[in-house]
Amino acid sequence: MKMNTSRVVLLFLLMVPTVVWALDHDNLDPNRPIAIEDAYVVPKGEIGVEGGILFSDRKRGESRLVFQPQLIIGAFNNTQLELSSDVSTDPRSVVGDDKSGNLTVGALYNFNTETLSLPAFAARVQLGFPTGVNAKGVDTAVTGVMTRSFGRWRAHVNVGYTFLGSPQGLERSGTYRVVAAVSYPLGYPTSFRDTIIANVFTRQSDLVGQRNPTGIGIGLRHQVSSRVVADIGIGSELFGPVDRSVFFSTIGLSVGF
Amino acid sequence: MRTQRLLALFGVTILIAGFTGACAQIEQRDKRFYYRALWNFALRENLQALDIEFNGVDFGHSNLYENLLLTGAKDIPAIEDRARKETLRFIDSRPVLNPNEEAIAPNYMKLAWKAQNTFDEAHALHRATYDIYVSDLVDKETAIRKVVAFYRDSQYAITAKRLDHQRLDTFSYSKSFRRKFPLFNATIWAYHYLQVAVYDPLGAAPTLAVKDHVVEPILRSYHGYLDKPPVEWTFMPMTEELSPKFAAEYPEIANIFDNLHMMHDNISDILTTDLLPTWEEKRKEIYRVTQAYYWASADATNPFIVPDGQPHHSGLTPVIEPGAPGEHSGHSGGHQ
Repeated sequence: MKMNTSRVVLLFLLMVPTVVWALDHDNLDPNRPIAIEDAYVVPKGEIGVEGGILFSDRKRGESRLVFQPQLIIGAFNNTQLELSSDVSTDPRSVVGDDKSGNLTVGALYNFNTETLSLPAFAARVQLGFPTGVNAKGVDTAVTGVMTRSFGRWRAHVNVGYTFLGSPQGLERSGTYRVVAAVSYPLGYPTSFRDTIIANVFTRQSDLVGQRNPTGIGIGLRHQVSSRVVADIGIGSELFGPVDRSVFFSTIGLSVGF
Repeated sequence: MRTQRLLALFGVTILIAGFTGACAQIEQRDKRFYYRALWNFALRENLQALDIEFNGVDFGHSNLYENLLLTGAKDIPAIEDRARKETLRFIDSRPVLNPNEEAIAPNYMKLAWKAQNTFDEAHALHRATYDIYVSDLVDKETAIRKVVAFYRDSQYAITAKRLDHQRLDTFSYSKSFRRKFPLFNATIWAYHYLQVAVYDPLGAAPTLAVKDHVVEPILRSYHGYLDKPPVEWTFMPMTEELSPKFAAEYPEIANIFDNLHMMHDNISDILTTDLLPTWEEKRKEIYRVTQAYYWASADATNPFIVPDGQPHHSGLTPVIEPGAPGEHSGHSGGHQ
């Protein structure tokens, strides 16, 4: 099964060389392609459809494929609304807040644009509804986001906490996560189609008594056309519980219209 | 547990800092998506040769502002030679997508975001009108009225009133950019020539093939100006001079574009002058000029609005650069 999953992923990577969507390659959204977002929302009036596939090769247990569709709407000034889900293979093995098939609604509000003296700040609130496999209770997540640029480099910090509505078994009732990342637009001064992103992350384990999954990731966002951004990324949970992802890769597209 | 508390504290700190910032010196981003319509990107899809040139134009202003800021406008070769040639190289690369201006000018964007957002919205109006002119829409006028209404609904909209550009060119620091950097200034004016010169030929051409044909001489002239910047021009190109039919049909849009181009000149002067030596002083003056003299929200008090029926320029102030050949701006609308 593990070998078959790997083949499927490899085939997908080969067949779709320009696959994950984001509307502007320099505007970072979580999981597109790695776990970081910047403090900026999509422009008011924009609608974005994003989708990607995550392949996770776990140290113990079946490898997983996760489909991550997301709808983003620039609903108000400096505010985006989001609707998303994760659909995973081997759904019964998923623990924590990201149960396969859960429907998540969220809002990201950008407080300010960056100035010479002030970084950009944003806050996100998400509600995860128990529509998925083995899911119970409504999960709530809050995240603080900060973006600061240094020349063309941009540094981002995301700090969040998730409250599980109805933890099961050894699941924690709440977990924190911290991600720090840098992004850089490649190609200046002759090309402006690519942004490279690297992150380090740690998050509290989903089950009591386990170590924090802690790792690194690197990704690339490429502006395919006026409306389409492709992304691809890889990473590893270097430390953590025995079922951590020793290797993960993502590929996806974002389309704005 | 201790780690968890520390991280929670850090997260709360970020949120509080964001909230504090929101209450103190804060600038909202306020990005707005373009007017969504079937003709979006018609220029890119149907008349790529022209679209590519506009993508090149997008690079020029941001690259100039960033370099003026970083050099303090003290290094003439850095602007006239290096930055200008970077811009020309980008144009020569024939970019099929518009560049990410925040990657070109990260410091300028942080200095004067409101002014940049004002430019972005007006540039989107430029793009929308080109798209409509190049699309297969039958009723182009209605589409243009809709995009103008959409534009004017923005708090960042530039006034559609006719402004007295000659008087807007008489601040204590006015003309400092063109005097110090005549080549780059003429290059900027060449962009503005291209941006307004294409309207009448595109409007008159009945088919895409003809549109493609009629912009050729304009592009030749434009590239001639890039190769040999028209330093003899004494004032920026005006829409009424180069696309009189468009200006007559849509006087509000012509005013918005001329005002936009004048605002570019004002900001170039502010970034160049020694009279405003610090970034903070430049920022304050950029915002003062933008908000008091260019934003439509200031129409009731804007002293530079030309009353209806009066000539475009007041004539109260010198129109001609010392040594200029005449009072005409020099860009007759003829193509090389």
